[in-house]
This record gives sequence, structure tokens and C-alpha cells, in this order.
Amino acid sequence: MEYLIESVVSAIKLIFALNADVLIVVWTSIRISVIALILASLFSIPMGLLVALKSFRGKRLLVQTLSTLVALPTVVVGLLLYGILSRQGPLGELGLLYSPSAMVIGQCVLIIPVVWSLVISAVNGADPRLSETCKALGANSIQQGFLFFNEVRFAIMAALVMGFGRAIGEVGIAMMLGGNIEGFTRTMTTAIALETSKGEFEFALALGILLLLVAFIVNGLLQRFQYLNK
Amino acid sequence: MKQIYKLKKTEFAYGENIALCVDEYSIGKNTVTALVGANGSGKSTLLNLLAFIISPTKGEIYFADEKVSSEKEKNLRRRIAYVQQRPYLFNFSVMQNMELGLKLRGIDKNVWAKRTGDVAEKLNLSALQHKRAHDLSGGEIQKVAIARALVLEPEVLILDEPFTHLDKEAKRDIETLINDMAESGEQTVIFSSHDQLQAQKLANQVCTLDKGQIKPCLLLNTFRGQLDTTNSIFRTEKSAIQIPSTVKSGTQIAIDPAHLVLSKEALKSSMRNHFLGKIKSLREEEGEIHVVVEAGESWQVIITKAALSELNINIGEQVWLSFKSSSVQIF
Repeated sequence: MEYLIESVVSAIKLIFALNADVLIVVWTSIRISVIALILASLFSIPMGLLVALKSFRGKRLLVQTLSTLVALPTVVVGLLLYGILSRQGPLGELGLLYSPSAMVIGQCVLIIPVVWSLVISAVNGADPRLSETCKALGANSIQQGFLFFNEVRFAIMAALVMGFGRAIGEVGIAMMLGGNIEGFTRTMTTAIALETSKGEFEFALALGILLLLVAFIVNGLLQRFQYLNK
Repeated sequence: MKQIYKLKKTEFAYGENIALCVDEYSIGKNTVTALVGANGSGKSTLLNLLAFIISPTKGEIYFADEKVSSEKEKNLRRRIAYVQQRPYLFNFSVMQNMELGLKLRGIDKNVWAKRTGDVAEKLNLSALQHKRAHDLSGGEIQKVAIARALVLEPEVLILDEPFTHLDKEAKRDIETLINDMAESGEQTVIFSSHDQLQAQKLANQVCTLDKGQIKPCLLLNTFRGQLDTTNSIFRTEKSAIQIPSTVKSGTQIAIDPAHLVLSKEALKSSMRNHFLGKIKSLREEEGEIHVVVEAGESWQVIITKAALSELNINIGEQVWLSFKSSSVQIF
């Protein structure tokens, strides 16, 4: 117990000392996850609105598939993309393996089903009168999409927070596609795994605390946004 | 009279359940039409069809002499304004809600301020313009939704139960509005109501719906019974009513309350139906007196204030109720 308390104290000291190694790792994690989230959102939000608002053959199968992919193991995504991005793979020539770009691609693949399916649920859960009102006011499909986006924006924000949480907290993709290269692709989660294995428990703990802090701040921002837009 | 809508063998079903089945029905251009009927009679389904929100599962709808296809529906919706029974307002201000339809329909921005200002003034909404829609009361929501429809200056204004949630004053505002539209004869208005007397008062044409079908008359003073064609009598549970001898079939009758005559003594006239009854209630509504007379069946009668003072009748007193056999509608 004493050991744990001492470790926590040391970890807090490390955070307040603004240790450069810690800050680089935190910045790399946030940067990669935010870029992945933006790219995934640009695809998932319109697709979510489209799938929810349109009727087409195979819609149920698509929604079911997306729901299944929400629980996709990160190591499976890492493994598949490793095969594609490695030197012998179809996209090996691009030389993306062990780079932040590869990690962004991997995290995008991971969070697209999360955001996409949550946007579908958000639209399906909207007031049933909304669709009829859009039609009655003469909205075309694109206008209807924007109106739905506006009305379910809190649920969409929550979907983005979920996506961000999944991206920043994953290890498999960061390890397999980033390679855990110090100062380049080392993220909070890969650093925690590495430092723990090296016996640097205080350093790992400091990163763990910062990881929780990032999640806490992101959720706080969402709540603030909801409060201001009430 | 030119027709704006024509329905031919139009049917709408929710799965196996047929919600509406109209053999043939037309709505005149620039008239006020009221759809009356009980809950679940098919009023909202018919209004949804007329607003092109849903498409018929069978049959055809013609709008301004043009057959409506699913491809045309989107464009036709922009010529109509539809206010639902429980209107939905967006999470904007009242003014932004009023402007939304104008924006979506691509109407010139220069006219927005005038149109919204005029309508807000007409419906006494000026003070609410900057209020968030989610902070409004039920009656205010209803009025804003009607205002949002009116600013569009549509060819056809469709209102589903516009008087629900409204207080007396707001109700009067909307009634005046519909009356003005009826008098101007420049806009087609279709509204639904469960209040048959109100519908009759406001509309040029009243369409009565019962179990998804259009009935030929108002469903007031409606009684079920059996037809005795030999004696030209329709027997309800409590009364025997004289009917025209030409009628050969039917299971229900209805008599317009305005066709019923009240008197203190039995009348000697060509009217063939006379019943002695007791006055159960007297109520004034918009300058008219609504009287309920218990004479076997319970009858609703409408008389003027002058007639009431002339008759000098009160609740509990005996009164004669008379009407012509030709006033009886059988279906």
C-alpha cells in the first residue's frame, strides 16, 4: 500500500514538473486521436444521417454490421492494417508503417463504426414529428440532414466523445502501426505498457493519471457545450 | 367551381389496416373545408395525404388538375403549408422558426421581415419573437406553428386540429383568421376538428369522416337503428323517426341541428316529426344558443338568442321538437 501511495505522489510530482518526455507523449496521443476523430467524423456523421434518413435495401444488415464493428478488437484492426501497410502489403510502397499517419488511419477505422452507429441511433431516437415537419416545410434531403444534425447535436457530440475515448485509450493499433517510437509515435497507452514492463511504475502512473484527466476534460467540455446550447 | 384536389378511389393502409378509403372526393379552390370526425376516423391520414407527406397505397390524387406522382410530391409540398396536430418547433427562437420555411423554400430574403412581422402582429406573437421555442406553452407553440405556415403564403393551408391547446383568446384569433381567409376567397384552407358545430360555422364545405370513410353529412344527432321501408320509418332504440319514402337502405341517420325547430306547443305544420322532450342544457357559443333536448334520444339543437328569448325556455322545462322527414339523412 505504501509503495502505491509513494508511486502516486511521484507521478503527481512528475506531472507538475512538466517533464518534457511526459508532455511529448501526451501531445502525440492527443494530436493523433483528434486528427483521427476529425477525419472519422467527416465521414461518419453524413453517412449516419444518410443511412438513418433514407430507406434502402440492406439497411438493416448495414446497421447490424456497424453495431458489431463497434466492438472490433484494436489488435485485429492493427493486424489487418499492418498487413496492408507493411512493405509486402498492397499499400507498402507508401511507407506509412510506424508513422503517425498509420496510427491515424488505424484509429479512423476503429472509431468510424462507433460514431456512425451512434449517429444513426441519435437520428432514429429524434422526435418522430421532426421528419414530418421537415417534409411539410419543403426541406430537400440535404436541408433535412442539416436540420436533423441541429436537433440531435448533443447526441452527436456524445458520439464524438465516445469515439475520442476509444481512440485515445487504445493500445493495439498504436503499438502495431506506430511501433512505439520515442518522440514520434509513442502515445500515452503504449508508453504506459512499455514503462510498466521496464519497472518505471511512477512514470506509467503519471501517464495513466493524465489519460484520465484528458477524458475528464473532454467530457467537461461536452457538458459545457450542452449547457450553453440549452 | 374550380377544384384544387380530387381524390379517386384513394386508399391508405398501415400494413393490413386500411386507415382511409375514399371513393371520390373533391375540394374546391379557394374554399374553406373542414374535416370532422372522432379520433381515429382518418382525419390526420387524409390531411397527410393532402399535404403529400404520405402517398396513397391505392388510387389517385389530383392537385390542380394534375395527377400527383411520387416524383412530383416534393415540389408540390412547397405549394402547401401544413401544421400538424402536435406541431414540432425547432430549437431556435420564435422568429427563426417562422423564417425557417422561407429559408428552406428559397424565398427572397427581402420579403422575410415584412411577412414575419405581419403574421406575428396578426397572431399577437410580436412579444414572443426572441423567446426560445422550447420555452413556449402548448398554445404558443400551436400559434407559432400556424404563423410559420402563414408566412409561406401557400396556395393551400392545412391545419390538423388547430384549436387544441389554445385558450379562448387564441382560439378566437385562429377562428378570425380562418374566417378572413374564407371571406377573401384567395386561399384554400383545409382544417380538421372534432367539434362539428365549429367546423360548420367556419367552413364552406364540411367533410365528415367515420372509420376512414367519408360520410355524406354531419355526424350530429346521429342514431343507429333499423329501417322500416313499408312505413317510411327509421326506428332507433328510443324513437321512431319519419323519413322520406324514397329511402330504401341505411343503418344510421343524422339530422342537422339547424333543421330542428323548438316550440312550447305542438306545431301544426307539414313537418312529420314531432317529439315532446325536456331541456337538459342551454349554452351560448359565439352568439348562438346550443340546446340539448332529451326526447327519447338526446337531440342537439341550435337556435338564435332572439329565438331563445321569444321561446322563454329554461333547463328542465318541456318543449316540442319538430323537423321535416326530408331533413333526415340516411347512410
